[in-house]
Amino acid sequence: MDIFVLSFWGITIVLTIISLIKDKKKTFVSMKKSKKMMGSMVIEIISIIFLIGLVLTIIPPDSISSVLGSTNVFLSTVAAAIVGSITLIPAFVAFPLVGSFVDVGASIVPAVAFLTTLTMVGIVTFPLEKREFGFKFAIVRNVLSFSFAIVIALTMGVIL
Amino acid sequence: MIMKKIKKHKRLVLVTLSYLGLFIFAPDIALTSANNSVYYLLEMLQVLPVIFLLTILIDAWVPKELITKKLGAKSGFSGNLFSILLGSLSAGPIYAAFPLSKLLLKKGASVANIVIILSSWAVIKVPMLLNEAKFLGVNFMIVRWVLTVITILFMGYIISLFVKKEDILNSNDASISNTSFKINKQHCIGCGICARVYPEYFEMNNDKAKVKSPIVTKDNKKIIEASIDECPVNAISLNHKK
Repeated sequence: MDIFVLSFWGITIVLTIISLIKDKKKTFVSMKKSKKMMGSMVIEIISIIFLIGLVLTIIPPDSISSVLGSTNVFLSTVAAAIVGSITLIPAFVAFPLVGSFVDVGASIVPAVAFLTTLTMVGIVTFPLEKREFGFKFAIVRNVLSFSFAIVIALTMGVIL
Repeated sequence: MIMKKIKKHKRLVLVTLSYLGLFIFAPDIALTSANNSVYYLLEMLQVLPVIFLLTILIDAWVPKELITKKLGAKSGFSGNLFSILLGSLSAGPIYAAFPLSKLLLKKGASVANIVIILSSWAVIKVPMLLNEAKFLGVNFMIVRWVLTVITILFMGYIISLFVKKEDILNSNDASISNTSFKINKQHCIGCGICARVYPEYFEMNNDKAKVKSPIVTKDNKKIIEASIDECPVNAISLNHKK
């Protein structure tokens, strides 16, 4: 756990205790509502997590190397954005991996596209998003995020 | 009954079956995949309890008026900036943001600000930015950060043009299509039965009953139908929108 997550635990636990002392009934009513909302979501999340495990076995993080190293920048950018949308790699794995490629001279444009879609576009978590916000919201947000990731990548190629 | 359960958790059933199949025919793939999943399971366990407590606290103590004022449609640019701040101060993967954002939306936040919170939750995090600067350089990190913030603001605006708040609240998988319920103020005699028996759905306001949240879902349909029967003057009714 990093310091961020730890401090969140600390703050919310203290606040919850205060909430319980101040108004036990109110807290429990909200707790019941929250439990209902989160309960079914947890089962869904667990199945998605095991799905992610499968996806990572089929498309291991290293496979991004073949995509980032390609000579056609535009094609490799789109491909990198697609790989980023499908996989979910923790940031502490993704940054050193991408960094090592840029260091040996690969173009940064596909690298940026990959890093941006990695967190902003989620094909695997799409069902969860659809469940909470509806199909329309989920599809518009993911498609726009994908397109803008490519725009950001191309812009960075021009600036840097 | 069993079929219903299977249908409800079809993804879990599907994933379990694939793992079972893999364990029989390609045990090494199944093992690697299970191992890969452990990291994410731990991450979930670290973050979801906090999210659970946070939704409780916000639901119980943060009034709707405040959220509407700070994050609602009229909150303007400062509302957008506040959303970026909220998203970046978060912890955990993007799915952890879903229940919280949904709650904020219900309590008055605008669609644009919800998009901004979700996106900055995903991309902008202090530990992540430090990591990025370390491996890709400070310039790289700053330029990507600035471009991302601009994009996120822009995206919030575009999505709010396409998707209206009602689309999201009505499209919930759990809700029965476009059904709500209401109280006929002319008929209500203010007896208070509904508010006493179903305090989750009704409250008293100036000697008349008031609906707390008019959305009918699969879960609460039975209860609301019961409340319709219970009202002595038939003032509660279902409302089917087209």
